[in-house]
Amino acid sequence: MRKKRWVPWVLVGPALLIIVLTTIYPLLAALYFSFHKYNLRRPAQFAIQIGENGIHIDWNLLSLNNYALAFNDSRFINSLYVTFWFTVISVALSVIIGLFIAVIVQKGGRLHTLTKVLLIFPFAVSPALKGFSWRFMLNEEYGIYDLLIDQLIVAPINALLSIINALPLVEIPLISESIVWLGDKFWALFMLAMSETWGWAPLIALMFVGALGSIDEQIYEAARIDGANRLQIFFRVTLPLLRSVILIVTMLKTIFSLKMFDQVVTMTGGGPVRATQTINYYIHQIGFVRSLDIGYASAMSYILVVVLTVCAALYVSLVLNRD
Amino acid sequence: MTASTIGQNPSSFRLQSLRVLETLALLLIIAFIMLPIIWLALTSIKPREKAYSTEIVFQPTLDNFRVIFADYTVIMNEGTDRERGELGRDMFPSVVNSVVVSGATILIAIPLATLAAYAFSRYSFFGNGVLLVWILTTQFIPAIVVAIPFFTLFRTLEVFGSPLLGTRLGLIIVNMSIVLPYAIWMIKGFVDALPGEIEEAAFVDGCNDFQILFFISLPLIRPGVLVASVFAFIMSWNEFLFALIIGREMRTMQVALMTTRGALGIMWELMAAAGLVVMVPIFFLALFIRKNVVDGLTMGAVK
Repeated sequence: MRKKRWVPWVLVGPALLIIVLTTIYPLLAALYFSFHKYNLRRPAQFAIQIGENGIHIDWNLLSLNNYALAFNDSRFINSLYVTFWFTVISVALSVIIGLFIAVIVQKGGRLHTLTKVLLIFPFAVSPALKGFSWRFMLNEEYGIYDLLIDQLIVAPINALLSIINALPLVEIPLISESIVWLGDKFWALFMLAMSETWGWAPLIALMFVGALGSIDEQIYEAARIDGANRLQIFFRVTLPLLRSVILIVTMLKTIFSLKMFDQVVTMTGGGPVRATQTINYYIHQIGFVRSLDIGYASAMSYILVVVLTVCAALYVSLVLNRD
Repeated sequence: MTASTIGQNPSSFRLQSLRVLETLALLLIIAFIMLPIIWLALTSIKPREKAYSTEIVFQPTLDNFRVIFADYTVIMNEGTDRERGELGRDMFPSVVNSVVVSGATILIAIPLATLAAYAFSRYSFFGNGVLLVWILTTQFIPAIVVAIPFFTLFRTLEVFGSPLLGTRLGLIIVNMSIVLPYAIWMIKGFVDALPGEIEEAAFVDGCNDFQILFFISLPLIRPGVLVASVFAFIMSWNEFLFALIIGREMRTMQVALMTTRGALGIMWELMAAAGLVVMVPIFFLALFIRKNVVDGLTMGAVK
């Protein structure tokens, strides 16, 4: 072939250099910071000192204190739990709702096509704005979601409950219509995950639409001839065929959920009482808002890096080994 | 109730009720997707007295947009903002910041990404495959890890006599970490799809590597480069964490949204208006690259 050996390196070089500078440099620097006592309020002393006699390393300045601190910090442990539950709820809802949307819109028809086009819109709404708009709509006094939930979900359930209560059998307490969604520990986290789901389920649906379209129609035909009904076809034919795509999408969404930050700032501010303080949010608070402890913030972010590295390895192996 | 009591063919009755269910499901999905967007749009043109209610009958007004772009006369006449101890918020500089940062980010990232993507697609060189996967995995690094060292670096690193922290240039530099890898993967997809025969023919005719690249291949992948540019623009426009930590007072629109907070909490009518400024341009861009968004986000993993 024509190719000269040095040509690709000239082409790849500049981009590669910038990627290394903007990702490898911070990864190494943050790791280095994490072994130090490094607070922005005080002048920091670093272990590697470049003086007149060359490079000198002061090993006494390096320690694992920041990591020890993290695992004794109840707020950090709390942020691990919050991140875990946020990830579980948002991934499960996004993938299940995404799959549901995909199965519905996948067929032809004018309304189907319109819906398919609309699916791209939540992607265009920035996460920061997403958080603000959900916070507004969940407001207990004038929020449209609050009104709709009360009217369409809570009221019918309560009506049913009062009928049951009218019978002299059991007494079930009615659901309150005045839940302050973002003031309640459980609901705040759940709604945060819902806002994430609103942004991601349509995108995940688009991912599944592509995969569904590539399934051979003859497979469905064969299943129908064998007398399978729609539910059976979905669970016994469609789902197994989508298995690898579902796994990839789930892993990808898990990674994005673990990295989530923007909406916590604009939707809940970590509250109520730290119930929505994810790892990213807590690191940001420690490093840039409250104690300005860069060493500690770096150590915590490295714990997140380790978790994400495991996820990334899983993701890459899923993608590479795909049927 | 069974189908026969209606006096219809049971199978066609089932088919019809299924169709009704499907239509209902579609309408539910549309409502789920569009409600927050429509509600923001409605709130942005509501007069202040109606913004804090679920009423949908009102006299539309552009006052909220005037306030966020600091047309002070409106506020003076109403007097309401003074009572809140607030004046108009001049968001125009933030719009400029967002446009400049996102624009410059793609102007730098896209040419570099195009060259790299072409090399990854067309040449086999040592480490080609590993490098590509490594570039993909850089997207799994949490943004906060990138932000911490650049924050401390930019506090002291001076360009043109002032520290990079709180400048558009600083923000453009860190944005490279999220934009470049996606752009390389997206453009590589387009180069891969291009048949190699044309380039072979050009080679036989005596073109060298760079002549082939610039005169034969690049013109052919222009649509792909455009799509990747739009995708990168959206990513950089919607970016929040870097804008908050590195951009600081040099607020982009994403951060400017937070300035709608007044003495009595967030002024939702202003937030909605600013929100519309943030999202409406992106709607058009997103519709334009609709078919490529999934490939971009997953770097081609789901096809």
